[in-house]
Amino acid sequence: MEHPILFISIILEKLGLPIPHGPVGHTFLEKLCEPYMTYTWLVMAFLFFVSKLTLGNLEMVPGKGQNFWEIVVGGMDDFFAENMGREMTDKLFPMIATFGLYIAIANLIGLIPGFMSPTASINTTLACTIIVWIVHHIIGFRAHGLNYYKHFIGPVWWLVWLLFPIELISNFARLISLSIRLFGNIMAKETLLTILFMLAGAFFAPLPIMILGVLVSLVQAMVFVLLTVVYISQADAHAH
Amino acid sequence: MSGVKKEFVQLLANYGHIGFTFAASILIGLGGGIYLDQKVFDGRTSPWFTFIGLAFGIAAGYKSLFEILWRDRNLEKKSDKEDQGD
Repeated sequence: MEHPILFISIILEKLGLPIPHGPVGHTFLEKLCEPYMTYTWLVMAFLFFVSKLTLGNLEMVPGKGQNFWEIVVGGMDDFFAENMGREMTDKLFPMIATFGLYIAIANLIGLIPGFMSPTASINTTLACTIIVWIVHHIIGFRAHGLNYYKHFIGPVWWLVWLLFPIELISNFARLISLSIRLFGNIMAKETLLTILFMLAGAFFAPLPIMILGVLVSLVQAMVFVLLTVVYISQADAHAH
Repeated sequence: MSGVKKEFVQLLANYGHIGFTFAASILIGLGGGIYLDQKVFDGRTSPWFTFIGLAFGIAAGYKSLFEILWRDRNLEKKSDKEDQGD
């Protein structure tokens, strides 16, 4: 299959940096120059500079840029507070909102030719997921101490042998479903777009998929944030 | 985003992952069973742990499915109560 043209990789190659030709690089420098790494930095730089440019000087009467961010951040804040309480929201808002914004931008950036979604690599999504998974257990331990194990043994003692493995399996399933779902959806979108570009790019064949891609990107970012919020609120709540 | 679109995206987010979570639970149960059979007990207990793991995986899948449904119902109840209280 024809490799998609990724302009950051081309620029880096012109600069003499080693670009890995397989999915994984061998040396440390090659690993740093993998497309999903470079495009992750691009998304980070984009988020940083756009918020810096639009929020450089906060005003009492917001302008266009500040208005946009007030809607985005305010909307997320309300949504979190509704689902996991004000106190938890104040504590964890920076982390979850960053995940939401980063994943949304990272998904959407792949729709532009020459760009790649960093989330189309399992490394990125698994990293995000592991952070979320560990954090929700830490929240559970901090809220309940060692009694946190009661979340895993079910309501009655004589069903422990049945419910403990089930709870354990469904807890580990979170790890898989959260990471592979995001990765699979975005990779499918990317692959489909690449193939359609190759087959009939001149006849605008990828256009309908791109429209669907916008929806998929936003929904997947939303799913990630929603599930993070739900897991954290479940770990924080009392056992059944 | 307008209200309808927002609700649409939220509903998709709420129910769009049911299928994947179900499949992931079964895969983890089955994988754990196969691991116990082949690696831990060197195939002596085969195929029993595979079947037990599969059963637990399916049960875990249904458990997470019902959890999603019940969570939604609880949220509805809570919002109903709050509406009455206001």
